[in-house]
Amino acid sequence: MKYIKYLFIRVLKITTLVGLVFMSTTQIYAQDNTKEDALISLDFTEKNNIKTIKATVTNKIGEPVEELDLYFFVKRTFSLLPIGDVFNTTDENGEVEVEFPKDLPASDTEGSVVILVKILESDLYNDLTVETTKKWGVPISDKEYHQQDERSLWAAAANAPMSLIVSISIMILSVWYVIFYILYKLYIISKIKPSKL
Amino acid sequence: MKKSIPEKQLFNSTKERDLLGHIVKTSIRYKIWVAILLLFIVFGMYGYYRQIRYGLIVTAMRDYTSWGIYISNFVFFVAVSLVGSLFSSILKLNKNEWAKPLIRISEIIAVAAIICAAVIIIIDMGRPDRFIYVFKFGRIQSPIIWDVIIISTYLVISFILLYISLLPDIAICRDRLTAIPKWKKKLYKIAAINWSNQPEQVLIIKKIGRILGITVLPVAFAIHTVTSWLFATTWRPGWDSTNLGPYFVSGAFMVGAAVIIFAMYFVRKYLNLKSYITTTHFDHMGKLLVLLSLVYFYFNINEYLGPAFKMVGVEGEHITELFVGKYAPMYWLVQIFGLVLPIVFLLFKNLRKPVPIVIISAFVILGAWFKRFLIVIPSLQHPYLPIQGVDESYLHYIPTWEEWAITMASFASLLLIITILIKLFPVIPIQELENPIEETSNESKKLKNEIH
Amino acid sequence: MGNKNSNASSRRNFIKKIASGSLITVSGLTIYSVSSCEKSTEGEKATLLTPDGKLVQVLKSEIESFELLPVSPKESRKGIPGKKFVMVVDLAKCKNARKCVKHCDKHHNLTPDRPYIKVLEMKDNEKSAPYWMPKKCFQCDNPPCVKVCPVGATFKRTDGIVLIDNERCIGCRFCMAACPYSARIFNWATPPNVDEDLSYSPETSIPSKIGTVGKCDFCPDMIRKDKLPHCITACPNGVLYFGDEIDDTVTNGEETLRLSTLLREKAGYRYLEELGTKPRVYYLPPVDRLFPFNKENAKEEES
Repeated sequence: MKYIKYLFIRVLKITTLVGLVFMSTTQIYAQDNTKEDALISLDFTEKNNIKTIKATVTNKIGEPVEELDLYFFVKRTFSLLPIGDVFNTTDENGEVEVEFPKDLPASDTEGSVVILVKILESDLYNDLTVETTKKWGVPISDKEYHQQDERSLWAAAANAPMSLIVSISIMILSVWYVIFYILYKLYIISKIKPSKL
Repeated sequence: MKKSIPEKQLFNSTKERDLLGHIVKTSIRYKIWVAILLLFIVFGMYGYYRQIRYGLIVTAMRDYTSWGIYISNFVFFVAVSLVGSLFSSILKLNKNEWAKPLIRISEIIAVAAIICAAVIIIIDMGRPDRFIYVFKFGRIQSPIIWDVIIISTYLVISFILLYISLLPDIAICRDRLTAIPKWKKKLYKIAAINWSNQPEQVLIIKKIGRILGITVLPVAFAIHTVTSWLFATTWRPGWDSTNLGPYFVSGAFMVGAAVIIFAMYFVRKYLNLKSYITTTHFDHMGKLLVLLSLVYFYFNINEYLGPAFKMVGVEGEHITELFVGKYAPMYWLVQIFGLVLPIVFLLFKNLRKPVPIVIISAFVILGAWFKRFLIVIPSLQHPYLPIQGVDESYLHYIPTWEEWAITMASFASLLLIITILIKLFPVIPIQELENPIEETSNESKKLKNEIH
Repeated sequence: MGNKNSNASSRRNFIKKIASGSLITVSGLTIYSVSSCEKSTEGEKATLLTPDGKLVQVLKSEIESFELLPVSPKESRKGIPGKKFVMVVDLAKCKNARKCVKHCDKHHNLTPDRPYIKVLEMKDNEKSAPYWMPKKCFQCDNPPCVKVCPVGATFKRTDGIVLIDNERCIGCRFCMAACPYSARIFNWATPPNVDEDLSYSPETSIPSKIGTVGKCDFCPDMIRKDKLPHCITACPNGVLYFGDEIDDTVTNGEETLRLSTLLREKAGYRYLEELGTKPRVYYLPPVDRLFPFNKENAKEEES
């Protein structure tokens, strides 16, 4: 009787233990993604004035990943500009090629653009972003980057059009010269003493 | 404060008594008149106090009709101020002798009008406490800065013109007036700057009078043209017109002539100057007014025919509103009673007598004030983009009592300045009558030889 | 027997201990891994440089979030270098939701009678359909308002934005008369709900001052933080696009497009182009409308 009780208790304990261990491991595993990590490697080529980005996706063990949608972006002022086609899917070699637009303005005067390639919301693979900087953009001309104020009607007071300044100054100076001349003459009048007749 | 007049006033001639008498004698009528004007001014100041305290919200101006009767009043005053140049320059250079007695009063009106114009524009500012910024940060590209420059220049020139015409008479006041308080005596002494009718002085004053008479003419044309550019440099219907400069200038001369007739009548009546400002003067002024009104009528036709023919977009809406819409009664009253009928009536010699002509001039002046209202406000109610989703009050502009009070006060100030200047100085040039300065060229050559 | 028993029992006890110990450990690990889904930074330190040039370690929890102070009026006259901002409004998508007006009014402390953005009901001619047109300041490249300002209170920056300095404005309202698009509003009375403690910057346009003029400012304070202006993010239908002409990109918060492509493919135009003001806001014509025009929309949203 007592033995059976001991056995029962021990079985209960073991079952509980195993059960807990089992549940916890499954729980741990349930939290972790069942997705894998993937690796993207980028290859930039320029041939006949056509710039191409080739992305190769491999999984953890180095096998190419196919049928995976990749998203290509160029970093812009407020957001990321998508480039490439609507869907850029890797082929059986895990490769996908995207043409980089010829006339995309750069972020600075040297022609740098920041290119991002992302895996987003894939069922099998974790989100991944790979970022590089390439000098593939059309450089911003120095004039645009350091805008100088030119003289115009809408500029600040110091940058009025020269013709306006010159013509107004001539008009004001000539009229006020006459005014001051007349004031001077009035002063002369005040200085003329009455003749002793 | 009763001033004790120790000495009795003796005049050398009836002329002197006629022209200088009012300086010595202060009648009850004068005191009542000044009191009424001061009352209007005080009431207007209360209206302005409310505007300072609560902001421009006390006016009827809102986001679309952002300029109101302050601006139309400003244009009116600038228009009236051109009358000084009409007499000191155009008529004088044209050797219209009959106009000589009226030069003084025209310059007085010009100076008073330009001062009131400057004051009313400061009243219209949303932040008058920052007025100094106009000089500190002024942008030469802005039409407002051009207006500030030309108004100050014209004010100085008009003042100097008035002073030059007054100078010999101030000397007469200094010499012949005895029964006046001490401060007046001092005033005349200082203002006369040792004028003693020396030939050299006479020569100089003739010369500078002529120089200034020529200089003031382009400045006078410029002042009202630049004011018209405050409107012509925008895209509003009715303002976006190349005709606006001549339209404004011709209107200014017309209203100036009417104001002179108005002033002539009252000065003649209350200062008993019937023998100096004769019915002939009224006759001449009447003919001058007809001429100036015809010129203005011509520019009116030009201003309205083009847009009415084309009816382009908002311009078409604006013209419709003026001709047959909301503003039609005001528009046709102004054009008919303020422009067309005066031209017709003044062609008759009988109507160029003092009483009829002053009534007609009153209509012209009233019509001119409302014409400026019609120039400024309806254009602002027809922007390119439709006015939607705003309070009902944004669609109409009916000036509030504060605006009327301030406007009345500005008129009262104009009249007060004119009254004070007339009280202090003879309103008809005496010197010219006693010792005509106008000499032939031979005589002036003789004088020059004598001096050297 | 006793020894054997005690040995056996101590072994059992040992095994029991190990088992319970591992059980506790495993459950502990489980609990830990569950709770470690939210990583706490409690106790994490950051390295900061003091004004004296010393490096100190401070608890991250002690650092308050630091907001960039708005730029002073003098500094605000210079634009953000290398940018020229532009806005595109897609009239095909506008439903008069007025969320742009609501958010703009909120962030600039405006009252409904002084909105920077107006959504107008437009009808180009008698036979064409009406549509909603959101209109704000067009930040023109040939700005009539800037030309006429006597004191330079409104100015054009190198990044294309036209701002107003309310500490210099004298309230002459010439700019309001000059703007053909009725883009400006005026503070006729004391603006309500003014927070006097805020330091004034033309880039935020708050606090407003009585007797001065105001208008849409393209929210440069948000741009400096690399964020889009309030109206762009507030629009539920993606009508408003904002971006930089120099890097040829506009975004409405969700989609990013090349400006030149957008204007070319959808025939972008500028309102009243013939006036020569060179606006920086483009409109895409209301073709292939997303919503039918419904005048009731206005009343719905306002209630």
